[in-house]
Amino acid sequence: MKASSYYHSQKLVPYVFVLPFLISIAVFYVYPIIGTIIMSFQQVVPGQTHFIGLANYKRVISSDFLTALKNSSIYTLLTILILVPGPIILAVLLSKGPSHMNNALRAAFFIPSLVSVVVAGTLFRLMFAANGKAVVNAMLAWFGLKPVDWILGGARQAMFLMVLVAVWRWTGVNIIYFLAGLQAIPEDLYDAAAIDGAGPLNKFFHITLPLLRPTIIFVTTISIFGGFAMFEESYVLWQGVSPNNFGLTIVWLIYQKGFQLGDMGTASAIGLVLMVIVFTLSLSVLNLFGFFKREE
Amino acid sequence: MKRFLFVCLVIATLGIVPAFGQKTDITLWTFQELHLTFYQKMAEKWNAAHPKEMINLKGEVFPYDDMHNKLLISLQSGVGAPDISDIEISKFANYLQGDIQLAPLNDLIDPEKDKFVQSRLDLYKKDGKYYGLDFHVGAEVMYYNMDIMKAAGVDIDKIKTWGDYIKAGQQVVAKTGKPMTTIEVTEHWSYYPLLNMAGSDVVDSNGRVTLDDPINVKVLQLLKDMIYKYKIAIPTPGGFHHNEQYYGFMNDGGAASIWMPMWYMGRFTDYMTDLSGKIAVRPMPKFDGSDVVYNIKSPYTSAGMGGTGTAVIKTSKNLALAKKFLYFCKGSKEGTIATWTDLGFDPLRWDVWSDPAMKAPNKFTKFFVNKENIFDVLLQVKDGFNTTNVGGKYPAVIDAIKHTVMYKVLVEQSKTPEQALKEAAAELRK
Amino acid sequence: MRTRGFVAIFATILKYLCLIVLAVSFIFPILALVTASFRPGRDLLRYGITFKSIIPDSLDPKNFVALVKSRDGIYLTWFKNSLFLTILQTVLSLFFSSFVGYGLAKYHFRGRNTIFVIVLFVMMVPLQILMLPLYKLTAALGIMNTYLGVLLPFIVSPFAIFFFRQYAIGIPNDFIDAGRVDGLGEFRIFFKLITPLMAPAYGAMAILLAQQSWNNFLWPLIVMRTGNMFTLPIGLNSLLTPYGNNYDMLIAGSCAASIPIIIVFFFFQRYFISGLSAGGIKE
Repeated sequence: MKASSYYHSQKLVPYVFVLPFLISIAVFYVYPIIGTIIMSFQQVVPGQTHFIGLANYKRVISSDFLTALKNSSIYTLLTILILVPGPIILAVLLSKGPSHMNNALRAAFFIPSLVSVVVAGTLFRLMFAANGKAVVNAMLAWFGLKPVDWILGGARQAMFLMVLVAVWRWTGVNIIYFLAGLQAIPEDLYDAAAIDGAGPLNKFFHITLPLLRPTIIFVTTISIFGGFAMFEESYVLWQGVSPNNFGLTIVWLIYQKGFQLGDMGTASAIGLVLMVIVFTLSLSVLNLFGFFKREE
Repeated sequence: MKRFLFVCLVIATLGIVPAFGQKTDITLWTFQELHLTFYQKMAEKWNAAHPKEMINLKGEVFPYDDMHNKLLISLQSGVGAPDISDIEISKFANYLQGDIQLAPLNDLIDPEKDKFVQSRLDLYKKDGKYYGLDFHVGAEVMYYNMDIMKAAGVDIDKIKTWGDYIKAGQQVVAKTGKPMTTIEVTEHWSYYPLLNMAGSDVVDSNGRVTLDDPINVKVLQLLKDMIYKYKIAIPTPGGFHHNEQYYGFMNDGGAASIWMPMWYMGRFTDYMTDLSGKIAVRPMPKFDGSDVVYNIKSPYTSAGMGGTGTAVIKTSKNLALAKKFLYFCKGSKEGTIATWTDLGFDPLRWDVWSDPAMKAPNKFTKFFVNKENIFDVLLQVKDGFNTTNVGGKYPAVIDAIKHTVMYKVLVEQSKTPEQALKEAAAELRK
Repeated sequence: MRTRGFVAIFATILKYLCLIVLAVSFIFPILALVTASFRPGRDLLRYGITFKSIIPDSLDPKNFVALVKSRDGIYLTWFKNSLFLTILQTVLSLFFSSFVGYGLAKYHFRGRNTIFVIVLFVMMVPLQILMLPLYKLTAALGIMNTYLGVLLPFIVSPFAIFFFRQYAIGIPNDFIDAGRVDGLGEFRIFFKLITPLMAPAYGAMAILLAQQSWNNFLWPLIVMRTGNMFTLPIGLNSLLTPYGNNYDMLIAGSCAASIPIIIVFFFFQRYFISGLSAGGIKE
């Protein structure tokens, strides 16, 4: 067997394809992940570390952790419920039609994602200020409603703001994923359906949605990860202190323990527990989609 | 092209070597550009005064949170720390854990120790060693809006106790319809100075939690009373005294007074410009043992609040020089005067407060009703500073105050002061 | 287009009316930001964001001038660093991630699911807990304060691999089989046949990887140690301090910082828009 044909053999080729990923994992992730697992059993302080058994894990379950887990879960669920169907519809509406108009509209949805989190948080804080003059409360006043204290009002207002910022920043991004996904759907399918007399709704549910499935799986999965990883948005909205922990998320808690309170051991333990939760969750969602069966 | 570059390099090296030959590189991290400008100015002065020990200051400004994270990572991993670093007071305790990586400054501080406001040195002390030097005292003072005071017919110089303050407040509310003050509900700048002046603290000198001390309960009750019983205060719009909404509110003459540290003057001059010529600075009201303050009686007239402890990292290759330069910037008479003239801080050394240099006009003397006599307020309260402890659990305790205690008691009213403090303390002691 | 008379026209008008209202509400905060960048930062604090605030009474480029001039033009250095890192990271990530993603999609081999699970796993480790050991590793490799230190750990983007895998799954196997029949090697099939078909995916990922890299903050901050190596997000964030924020420069700086990615967006979006795409799959 010639070397080149071996090189091209279907047995070896797949491994060459995934090699760059495996190398990068071996070099840059294996050591840090093991390091983090070790840290979760240690007390890590400047100049020294020592093993303290399971003490960090015992400290994980606190009232703050439960609050954070609750907030992160609700946030993730709400963002998925909005940021998957919404952008699908928008992508379908924006994929055809007058191009200048659509260009402008797509840009309008995408540009918010370019603004840094810090600036986005500041903008929303100023728009949702409690006084009657700020945009949102001024609008409420048009309808004869009283001004709402969005920032300090309570858990519901806080969640509303966090989700709103996410929707504002990520709608445009998800539209891009779905627009790209729509391109992979063969045009003839729609033509054939039209001949059979299918209306737009019929086409949407019987062609677009099923064939968009890989992209939907992708967006849902990264939304789960993104939802549970959310931290900066709420940190910035409340400038570091959310009243009564309304905006506390798990990664914020990790940040608080690890950096602000200098306890990297407990932070690592919380992080690993979070990973187990998210991992289980995302694998079951993928399973639900029939992901690990052969997809053709 | 290569040759050209090489020639350039040679010329550059020749040019640099004689000029920087004797200079020692000192790296410095900070989170505030103004601090860096101050250090750079002081480095020039240092080089002029110490031609044999010239330094080449390499300062970097990082984002606030991230500078502290970066420093913590450097110290935990043992690589990449600078020679000198600013460390914000609420984070300092994190760096005093384990095998302390900061260098003690006692050899420099001890000879002039009595010239400093003692409690401000003790902040960064552990086991008798001083690990940091602050920029300022951060003396707690009261800022009065004189327009509102005049409209209400209140003489602020007659306000001596909290009883007086509340009475004046009720007069203000009755005459102008404006609240006397605002109370922070997501930060600790309203509560913490008061409990400190009342003779208490949130951790003891060993860093153990004392958040549920009976005095702390009474002081929190007093804040709650100001809002709901006497109706002279409102929860701060936006939650705390450093947010855009609040600046706008105050600019429009929103509240008649506010207690904050001296360094808050800079927030008035930068963000509340409409109040120029209207704000008077006065000493804080006292806890005189009356019923209003639940019989708390204490001798303290102010509290040293906030701050940035600058430290030298033990691993520095130029330890002695870095320490001397730091002391020159923040401990020497010349340096501490510059903290006022350049940065607008109340200097750490009380022996410079009466120095003529402190009366020179600047943006603060222009802004405040006190004109050039701002430091007279400080001289009045000079001997009344309680110690503050910022070691051990301090960062976590302050976090708990900011995140849950204040909001539950003052906004939601879902917990009494005692319940909220006891619960938080119990969680923190775990 | 076929017209179905009055109803169809009415539906189109209604559709665009809804879309325009929605788009305007998305863009409103941006308009407020842009107009604010031409006014003193204090104005924003003084008045908040009100309906009046998006109508500028005067346009003063003072903030932008200050931005370029302050600290010897360091903003431009940050801009340059960000630009360089973003281009490099985007190009390399596009290449490697599409390569790996295609491999995971179109071959059945032992360990495929395991590798895919690892991809997911890497995507969800919060960087905050990896930071300390990753810092030690980077220091040991001697790439602190270098572009390499920022780039190397994240050159193969798991999220892009996932996306390309999902996209490649939609490509019919007939294309690949046809290539094999023509005697093309497996890699030539990928580079010659598949990459053009994946143009919409490349277009989308180019925009999103560039956006991600451009806004990347956490890791560059840990690696970079001197001001001349900072990227834009680090530099801009250092304008915010607990002792007061420099809103003038922050807002102007953020506006100027968005421009390159907007250009990238307009350039690459043509690849995933109907009619213009060369890679539309027709069977």
